Amino acid sequence: MEKVTPSLLFEISEQEVQNPKMLRVVLTENHTRIDFGYTTPWFYRKGGWIKISPDTYLKLKILNKKFPLLNAEGIAIAPKRLDFQSTEDWQFFSLYFEPIPRIDCEFDMIESDKPTKNDFNYYGVVLNIINGIELV
Amino acid sequence: MPINKSAFRRYKVIDMLLQNKMKRYPTMQEIIDACYDKLVVDISIETIQKDIAQMRMSPPDGFDAPIRYNRSKGGYEYTNPEFSLLGVQLSDLDIETIKESAELLQLVGGSRVSEKFNSAIEKILTTVLEEFPSHKHREKHVQTMVPPPSRGFEHFDLFYAACIHKQPVSFIHYSYKKRTFSSIIIHPSLIKEFENKWYVVGYSEKHQEVRTFGMDRIFSPFALRKKFVTLHDSTLKSMQQDYYGVFPIPNQPKQQITIEASALATNYFLAYPIHSSQEVEKQSHGSAIIHFELIPTLELTRLFLSHGYHVKVQSPSWYVTFTQKLK
Repeated sequence: MEKVTPSLLFEISEQEVQNPKMLRVVLTENHTRIDFGYTTPWFYRKGGWIKISPDTYLKLKILNKKFPLLNAEGIAIAPKRLDFQSTEDWQFFSLYFEPIPRIDCEFDMIESDKPTKNDFNYYGVVLNIINGIELV
Repeated sequence: MPINKSAFRRYKVIDMLLQNKMKRYPTMQEIIDACYDKLVVDISIETIQKDIAQMRMSPPDGFDAPIRYNRSKGGYEYTNPEFSLLGVQLSDLDIETIKESAELLQLVGGSRVSEKFNSAIEKILTTVLEEFPSHKHREKHVQTMVPPPSRGFEHFDLFYAACIHKQPVSFIHYSYKKRTFSSIIIHPSLIKEFENKWYVVGYSEKHQEVRTFGMDRIFSPFALRKKFVTLHDSTLKSMQQDYYGVFPIPNQPKQQITIEASALATNYFLAYPIHSSQEVEKQSHGSAIIHFELIPTLELTRLFLSHGYHVKVQSPSWYVTFTQKLK
């Protein structure tokens, strides 16, 4: 019988105020999933919009390898975009990347190598395998 | 081997003939003719022979039907005259009651619970109507409130299974009031419905206490393989019995709440008691002093306030102040 590697879920500890907020990471055999929550800011008329670049990738500090974006749920992949209707809107979304190895690691999520304040770049996300919780 | 639907319909025809006390020992030709009359399909001798053999088999393949061919009578019979394929003999009244119950179940049960239950109820209804077809069209005489599907309700089955199998669940929660997202791990013990809204109650690891979460604010739940924190029976019992509503006012124990209700409001409290502890002391002019023994909740407060000047909270004093502040 084929051995199935259990999926592991990691809660991301409270970070500095960042919008979208990174909430969870799920490692499966087929992908690495990262969940985010976004609230529309007051300074964009009707809340503005969000999208994610198809060139977004994960980068592990200890490996010289990129893990590209495979899919997205709840957010549009550029050039499409998700338009909001108000400054009180909010959106939960998930990004799916190529599976990263199951090792203790620190990774960055990079939407743009030359980021502006509008790009979703995250640095130094720590995963300790011992903290992963198996999914049923 | 699963029994297909058309075979089962033939079994029922055979069963009906074998149970007919007025015309015992049906012959093979009579069975074939009855199948043709009831099912409007041509059936071969071989098919009926296979059906009888299948019916004789032990469950789950068959029904353990005690069928034998009586040579002296030239027909088939049940060696146990009490045997029935459906297990029980039903009178016309029983059948009518089952039909009514199934229809009522569909009205009140279906979409208010999950898709899974809805589908199960549909199966029951379909089976009952197929089993006991009625030629007369039934008008609907009961209407129930069936709200459109709400966000988050699709997680009902997962949380229900998690409660039964004692599995913690990870989900993302959005707070409407704070406008913040959080990652929560709950050890769910209870699913609660109140005013057509659905809630999950259980121990929250983040809050390190029992919390209630509206399903409409829950996203992407995953059941976890992790040690489960079981709530104390008394806590669970209290949540089920001592609340009107869902969200308790923090740090308030079970206590006596007393209100004064106008004559108009008293009619409603008498007609629709809101809690099993409700005690009404009716006054000579129709108004009433009403006592409740419960854990005060936000929903209880909202109910009192919805009556306007017809309901006035009398005690305890902290609750009088609390209610006034919300006016």
